[in-house]
Amino acid sequence: MGLVCRLLEERGIATVYVATGRDLTMLVKPPRALFVNHPMGNNFGPAGDVEMQADILRTALALIYSAEQGGDLVDYPSDWPETFRFAPGASA
Amino acid sequence: MESIKYVDALNDYYGAMGNPPYRWTINETAPLHRLDKPLSECVVSLLTSGGVSQCSMPAFDPDARNDHRLDAIDRGVDAADFQIHDSYYDHRDADRDINCILPLERLREMADSGEIGKVADRLWSGFMGRIYNRTKVLEETGPAFADALQEDEVDLLVAVPS
Repeated sequence: MGLVCRLLEERGIATVYVATGRDLTMLVKPPRALFVNHPMGNNFGPAGDVEMQADILRTALALIYSAEQGGDLVDYPSDWPETFRFAPGASA
Repeated sequence: MESIKYVDALNDYYGAMGNPPYRWTINETAPLHRLDKPLSECVVSLLTSGGVSQCSMPAFDPDARNDHRLDAIDRGVDAADFQIHDSYYDHRDADRDINCILPLERLREMADSGEIGKVADRLWSGFMGRIYNRTKVLEETGPAFADALQEDEVDLLVAVPS
């Protein structure tokens, strides 16, 4: 998906990538990325947490204007309340 | 907590399944298109790669590889009208609240309050993980997606990988 963002940017469409994989994002280097240290699948927070969902979305959209160069990655300040891990097969 | 090392975890996981080594894309620079209008005038769309489809549509293959399917989702869709099929992440929260990965209700609220110009006519689901034939993305599916976004006069896309 990071490749798609790069292609869109070259076509004049601004993008922001809201990722839960910091190392993956650093490799692909989408034009603008907000890293959220949550489990994959909780990019915008827990189910029902409207306030956090809105705040992460607003923070991501603000990056459209604040990013200084292509490939900028910003860390969203959030502490997920539990330890988590890569969880393939947790649900299908 | 420290962020998960997904590259190592995925290499181990794919390898244990007998898949060939994944050749990760490594870029040193990135393009950047600067918008010359305020957010309050922008048309905004969303893209999820999390195996999300509307209930009336076929499910995504949860174990897909090289799946270039891309679904358009009407911007007025009911937030409960989704199913998720993807074996590679825990989507139990997103099953209950699609806004965890596709914050369409939050985006509609921002349009209602005037923070963004409008929600694009179409939101999107596709480009699931494990795409090995990236040339097809760069030469076919990616450009076709750009055409569709431009048709909808999209200024800005929020892309949500999972």
